[in-house]
Amino acid sequence: MEYFRSGLKSVLGTPQPGSQPTGAETVERLVNRVTSSTLLDDRRDACRALKALSRKFRLEVGAQGMDALLQILELDCTDCEIIGYALDALCNVTSRECFEEEEDRVNVNVGEQFTEMFVKNTGNVSTVLAFLEEYDFRVRWPAVKLLTSLLGSKPKEIQDIILVSPMGVSKLMDLLLENREVVRNDALLLLIQLTKSNANIQKIVAFENAFDRLFDVIREEGYTEGGIVVEDCLLLMLNLLKNNTSNINFFKEGSYVGKLAPMFQVPENVEEVGWSPQKVSNFHCVLQLVRCLVGPNNPVQMTSACQKAIRNANLLEALCNILMASGVPADILTETISTVGEVIRGNLANQEYFANVTAPSNPPRPAIVVLLMSMVNEKQPFHLRCAVLYCFQCFLFKNEITQLQVVQTLLPSSNAASLTTGQLLCSGLFSTDALSNWFSAVAISHCLIENPAQKEHLLHVLLAPNIGAQPVTLIHQMTTHLQQTLKFQAKISILMLLAMWMSHNQQAVQMFLSVPGSVAFLTAQTSADECDNNEELLQGLCAFLMGICVAFNDNTVQNYSRENLSQLIEKRVGIETYVSKLSLISRNEAYAKAAKQPQIKAKVSTDLLLEFEFCKLFKALESVIVNALGVQRDLSNGMSELSLTAHENALLLQYKELIREQDRRLQDMQKELTKSLDEKKHLLVQIDELKSANAQYKDENVIYKASFSNSNGADEKMKQLEAENCEKTSELEQLRKDQEDLLELLTDQDLKLNTFKNRLRELGENLEDSDNSDNDT
Amino acid sequence: MSYAYLFKYIIIGDTGVGKSCLLLQFTDKRFQPVHDLTIGVEFGARMITIDGKQIKLQIWDTAGQEAFRSITRSYYRGAAGALLVYDITRRETFSHLTTWLEDARQHSNSNMVIMLIGNKSDLESRREVKKEEGEAFAREHGLVFMETSAKTAANVEEAFINTAKEIYEKIQEGVFDINNEANGIKIGPQHSPTNPSLPGAGGKDGSQGGGCC
Repeated sequence: MEYFRSGLKSVLGTPQPGSQPTGAETVERLVNRVTSSTLLDDRRDACRALKALSRKFRLEVGAQGMDALLQILELDCTDCEIIGYALDALCNVTSRECFEEEEDRVNVNVGEQFTEMFVKNTGNVSTVLAFLEEYDFRVRWPAVKLLTSLLGSKPKEIQDIILVSPMGVSKLMDLLLENREVVRNDALLLLIQLTKSNANIQKIVAFENAFDRLFDVIREEGYTEGGIVVEDCLLLMLNLLKNNTSNINFFKEGSYVGKLAPMFQVPENVEEVGWSPQKVSNFHCVLQLVRCLVGPNNPVQMTSACQKAIRNANLLEALCNILMASGVPADILTETISTVGEVIRGNLANQEYFANVTAPSNPPRPAIVVLLMSMVNEKQPFHLRCAVLYCFQCFLFKNEITQLQVVQTLLPSSNAASLTTGQLLCSGLFSTDALSNWFSAVAISHCLIENPAQKEHLLHVLLAPNIGAQPVTLIHQMTTHLQQTLKFQAKISILMLLAMWMSHNQQAVQMFLSVPGSVAFLTAQTSADECDNNEELLQGLCAFLMGICVAFNDNTVQNYSRENLSQLIEKRVGIETYVSKLSLISRNEAYAKAAKQPQIKAKVSTDLLLEFEFCKLFKALESVIVNALGVQRDLSNGMSELSLTAHENALLLQYKELIREQDRRLQDMQKELTKSLDEKKHLLVQIDELKSANAQYKDENVIYKASFSNSNGADEKMKQLEAENCEKTSELEQLRKDQEDLLELLTDQDLKLNTFKNRLRELGENLEDSDNSDNDT
Repeated sequence: MSYAYLFKYIIIGDTGVGKSCLLLQFTDKRFQPVHDLTIGVEFGARMITIDGKQIKLQIWDTAGQEAFRSITRSYYRGAAGALLVYDITRRETFSHLTTWLEDARQHSNSNMVIMLIGNKSDLESRREVKKEEGEAFAREHGLVFMETSAKTAANVEEAFINTAKEIYEKIQEGVFDINNEANGIKIGPQHSPTNPSLPGAGGKDGSQGGGCC
């Protein structure tokens, strides 16, 4: 502190005696000096002082000096020292944490506000990014720290700026090659912040050889034995892989899975040395990493490819070794069990490998048996037991062979000499520890998923509850236990197992219904109306099981046929109530939690109620049951007109009439339509005919026209002839007239002649007879 | 699986030209007719053999949309090869090639091998860009050219393998500095010139030994 004070003195001059300048005043003078001094040395000194004050008088330095500091970054970028001071000061000002020496600590987060101011101009971030390329330690280190601090409070904004700035991510990635460890380590922290939930940046970082570089660092630091830097590297890898299928694919294709192998090497002397807290953290991260690759939420083909790669890299073997090693801390063991589970889940080869793993116990037992022993052991930690169940579920998942093998150990014929999974599960199912009941019931139910053969086999399991007593079937014993036990968790688990067993299996339903008191129990529970959260769940489950009894009933049990049961539900519970009881299951908090992921995630033992696969079953069957009940009711009620009220009947008749009327009209219309269509067809034919006739006529017309024009010459001749004819006729007429005139003249002449003759005769002239003869004639 | 070399590729070009389909055809030998927009970048990988040597191709398929352009740029620097794809049935995808090429040349290392691909050659009836035009463009800008069909798989293998051959030849000629990872080339684990017990450490001190390879 004395050093700073003397430094301040040298910058500000000796304080005037008597009056001590306030922080704000000092800062103001320094800012002035930074902005107005012409000498670089002066500016540098002032900047150094500002940096020194930036913790104690953070508010003042930020409020008054931000612009001055930015100005320095821009104008004095050639002087590494002053840039270093400016970056340091900015880093303090924008820091999210409160400093101990900070004066008047206010509640509002000053750092965040200053960050906002700084980020408002995206160019500022780019400027800082550019300083990363400066090799000088005094610049590069504070630049890294400043970026980390900015990312802490404004991750989204800074990520976006870095993403669009040219080579932004690449510059950051180059820092991992830094040989000054402190810079490299801080760059790691920066990259962890940078890659949080931003798939695009994650992919670019992976593209920039992040995995190679991180594995290099991990190797240099001594794998899981290394310090916190190893953990940071692993955390960064986790960020890159989490929910990023493209990067997972890259990790697998880049053969990085094999590079994980040295991490699983457990030193020989681990029992003496023990596990350091750092090693536990590192190892935890490695396990998380493996689970990232094979998580049940990843695409199936990706998961199976990774599972194969993990087996081929002998990681499954290494994991199983840790499982069976001694001295492994409980939380690591728990995580390893879950990891093994996910590595084998749904992968036949891996499941088979795991089935053959033996524990180094005396006598040697299969690892799975040893694990189940822990599951049904009250003294084991709760989370470990959950992990074992999860692992066991993964072991059975989509594997009919392992399902069969487990069920076979339950059958009476199996070898009773050695401890088997079946024995463990059976003893767990009926033990006094409710948690063991739950674990065992769920474990058995997983042998039955989509496996009708095992449901069948399980029916033949016989138990001898007391020595010398008549052996009873498993279903009988479970039903009795269900009625007798007072433990809520036990009841829930047995109901879930029964539901899984009896769904799609009429024989199991038949056996269940034959157990005395079974239906009475379910009816009583379903019709109960306690409102306690747990009781509601129990009621829902009983309702569900009853529904299964209706839906998968072969009507062979007297009094409990499909019809009887649905009437029972209707009369004792009422359909509406029944449906709402069913929905109590899906509305329960436990349902939402369990349906989320296959892994069992419970903080405390009482949280364990419903289970993932059961939720799936319920989802699939709820509507089936409601439908089955509905159909049953419709059948028994006989939906006929007789059962309707007068009003309804009238309405019905009205509608029927209406329908008939409409039907009739429809038919009429159709008839008309066919008629019209026929007509249309006919008309079309006619039109066609007419058209062809028309065409014919047209042709003829053309011909006639042509011939007509030819006949024109004859016409003229005719006219000429006619004219001639007229002429001739008139001539003829003339001639006739002339003739007549002449005849008249002739007659006159005749008369005159006769007169003359007579006068002659009188005169006595003898006349020729010829004339007489003529006259006589 | 072990390999002699590892090459990083990127596939670039306008949206909808069939970049993802080319990759899928090459890595999975199947065609997906439904156009699924690539968001950001997707990864694929395959092993090929050149000159009797196993070569691993790591391929980053980028989004063609303008909105992702700045993200895409981050991938140029570390790539040894690029497939620049256009669609022969859409002229505009061909016209944009110049922009793509400028972008690539500006951000990549100068030795990056660029292969020009005219995709959708199966849609001959809808062709808008002649093969000769593609050839001319490639000649003018010094690119290798090929017409492919991700649907019928025609020339798809060749496109990826010829690009790899080109890179391989450049390595043989000593054009590429194979020890600089930023070039998008890596030497396989057992081929590394440095001490096999220190696989990743070859970055700096292995540069002399690498030249003879």
